[in-house]
Amino acid sequence: MQDLLNAATLGSIYLLFTLGMALAWGTIGILNFAHGATFMFSAFVAHVLSRETPLPFLAAVAISVVVGALMSVATQVLAFQQIIKRAKSQHHAELRILIGGIGVAAIPLAIAQRETKSSPFGINSDYTATVFEFAGLRLSSTALVILIAGLGIGIGLTVWLRRSRQGLALRALGVDAETSAGMGVNRQVMAIGTMAVAGALAGLAGALLTFHLSAIAPETGDQLIIKAFAIVVLGGLGSMAGAVIGSYVLAGTETLVLVAGHGTWVDAVSFGLIFLILLVRPQGLLGRKEVRRT
Amino acid sequence: MNDWYLSNIVLVQSTFTTLLLALSVQIPMRMGVFSFAGIGAYGIGGYVAAMCMVHREWTTVPAIVAGTLAAGIATFLLGLVVQRLTGLYMGMATIAFTLIVAVLAVNGGEWTGGASGLFGALGDITTGLIIGCAVVVVVLLQFTEMGGLGRRIDTVREDPELANAMGINVARYRRLSFLASGLVGGLAGALVTLLRSTITPDLVNFHLVVLALTVIVVGGSGSWIGALIGSLIFVWLPTWLVFIGEWEEIVYGVIVALAAIFLPSGVLGVAKNLWHRFRTRDERARLKAGGGTPAGETGDAGGRGLVPSVEGEA
Amino acid sequence: MTTRAQSDARPADRGPGQVLMEIRDAAVHFGGVKAVDGISMTLEAGKIYGVLGPNGSGKSTLLGAVTRLTPLTRGEVVFDSVDYTRRPAHHVHRLGIARTFQTVRLLEDRTVRDNILLGQDTLARASRKELAGAAEDVMERLDIREYARMRPDELSYGMQRRVEFARAIVGKPKLLLLDEPTAGMNSAEREEVGALMRQLLDEGLTQFIVEHDVQMMVDTCDYLFAMNFGKLIAEGLPQDVVRHEAVQEAYLGKRGRKHA
Repeated sequence: MQDLLNAATLGSIYLLFTLGMALAWGTIGILNFAHGATFMFSAFVAHVLSRETPLPFLAAVAISVVVGALMSVATQVLAFQQIIKRAKSQHHAELRILIGGIGVAAIPLAIAQRETKSSPFGINSDYTATVFEFAGLRLSSTALVILIAGLGIGIGLTVWLRRSRQGLALRALGVDAETSAGMGVNRQVMAIGTMAVAGALAGLAGALLTFHLSAIAPETGDQLIIKAFAIVVLGGLGSMAGAVIGSYVLAGTETLVLVAGHGTWVDAVSFGLIFLILLVRPQGLLGRKEVRRT
Repeated sequence: MNDWYLSNIVLVQSTFTTLLLALSVQIPMRMGVFSFAGIGAYGIGGYVAAMCMVHREWTTVPAIVAGTLAAGIATFLLGLVVQRLTGLYMGMATIAFTLIVAVLAVNGGEWTGGASGLFGALGDITTGLIIGCAVVVVVLLQFTEMGGLGRRIDTVREDPELANAMGINVARYRRLSFLASGLVGGLAGALVTLLRSTITPDLVNFHLVVLALTVIVVGGSGSWIGALIGSLIFVWLPTWLVFIGEWEEIVYGVIVALAAIFLPSGVLGVAKNLWHRFRTRDERARLKAGGGTPAGETGDAGGRGLVPSVEGEA
Repeated sequence: MTTRAQSDARPADRGPGQVLMEIRDAAVHFGGVKAVDGISMTLEAGKIYGVLGPNGSGKSTLLGAVTRLTPLTRGEVVFDSVDYTRRPAHHVHRLGIARTFQTVRLLEDRTVRDNILLGQDTLARASRKELAGAAEDVMERLDIREYARMRPDELSYGMQRRVEFARAIVGKPKLLLLDEPTAGMNSAEREEVGALMRQLLDEGLTQFIVEHDVQMMVDTCDYLFAMNFGKLIAEGLPQDVVRHEAVQEAYLGKRGRKHA
């Protein structure tokens, strides 16, 4: 049961991280490879600011969220939009955005590695997690926040996308960008807004994970990106509900593998999932049917 | 000259092994197959070569051959399985394959040395051997870039449906690109492993994928020359621009981002464009002037067809 | 309005009257849609055939089925006595069937000459030997020789079309399929295309053209098929087909007037 709780917490972290990526990818079609770097660097900024004076929990999280949003927006405006302007076709643009994202991702990573000499960093804070014990289970307050944030935002975003006007516009963009643009959906503005939210979510995930584990390494972001892939592929591109389900399924499976004593195979779960799903059911659980296949 | 060579021998070797690694991704990419399986092949080639040496006491060349072939076959089989995926999804599946190779290496028990990897696989690898292998690969590739084969490959990449209509067996070209990428990647892995005498699971990682991609993007993905340009840039940049030193990674990141935005065909693409514009400056001037071509056989009075790049009238 | 050239005067290479292609009860179903619904056609060597039909009539799908780019749900396609219904798409070219596309599909990064050479790259080596210089001839003939080293995006639409044509005929095919070849052209250009087609016919190239432009079809074709909703609604001599009731209905609606 404790394992279940741990898996749920892990899944919530995965969810918060993946939501940002899935949102951008599934609506405006931008696969932002710098998402992991954003996640890590937002927490890193909070870390740097907290060196002199300890930061309260909320302040640290807020800083991280804002930095994350700013980073993603900057990437969108300075890199991705420039590529889209110059690309010959949708297909070409996608590849260049992927590569551009990889390039951009290297920058925050390098800065953080220099500053921390490649060792893990935490956020200096007066906050210490209270541990709740009930029915033989232990749950830290941080984990509780993570669980609530993950599930809450995950479900909230899913509902918002389905019900609200802006949500509809976003989903329309995801299905057919040109037609939607022709119908008055302002692509550029929506794109920036989406990236801001995606970045904010990354920052949130970054701060929360850092508090939860006491420290994260500069490389953590990149490791999470692959897991996010697996989750989006499993859940289905374009589906937030899929991302929610996928996150917990992945976390659950990984925990199972770990608990069963095969710790070295944990990473293989995400890789294997990607591989399997793409071959067997490329649209994932709840995704749109048009994953392109020759 | 000799002194320079000796003190830079590692960089020289690195240039050519990086070239081979990059080629393992560039070859399928040139056919429109977005596959990173070559990096996985690098790992397979390295491990098989090391295992042959350490467990079976093979000598250098047989070990390299074994590594190369094993990687080629594995990658070819992978290709059969994933051949119908496109673009991004093919990329992800092949990255997953590469990372699975690393996990298998960690869990390979005694065979692969587990998490600490294999060591003691010291091969007799001279710089001459490395360069020789690279040259052979490059010469073969050059043949595929010339004449009819070059044209057909370009068509398979740019417009597979057109390629089929022109009689080109697209599926077969794509499958062969997996085989080629596996062989070249495996060769790179075998050479590097036996050169350094060790291989560990964490050497086969995502950063290798990024490195190969970076080299190709900046140098130019259209030809082996682009991969060479890219390899030269990334291996020698820190030496030429010493002051970059610790900012190396950041500079790389910026270069890649800038290349993705401004130079979609890399340095090579820019060079080719300039050459083309130079060569055809007369023709283009004529077209601009809007006249001068003798009327066609059907009595066309000129003007038609001489207006550059007008969208067809609806 | 130009009249057709007197092509009946000179017999084509393949012996006029010989059956070149047969389409037998072809059907192409996508999901619930019957894009092609039971079409049978017989094409003889030495003629120019046309398929007329409004948008959505299935004529482009028919072309896709004949070139094996689209699988047949039912029926057979036979060329030169060879049943190639089950053969893969890339075999069609070597049977001697060439085609052009609705949109210009040239390799942007390659020169005009390279684009044209592509048209004979996959032919047997002996044929290629014979064809040495064929690219130059074809460029000469289509009046694009001096642009041989240019890239497609540096040429006008009309010239790009000519390059595509050249690519299609450089391999000396037995049958040329043309998919809306005059889309986006003015009437002078249309006449040129028609004249070129008649010339090629004189040299023995059977042609099969899918088009919208009724006038051009009437002027150029020896025999017309009319399609609507995936079925054949009429066939015969152009002037007869055009006056056919069902055809008028399809193009002009139930109260159509007679075509001029």
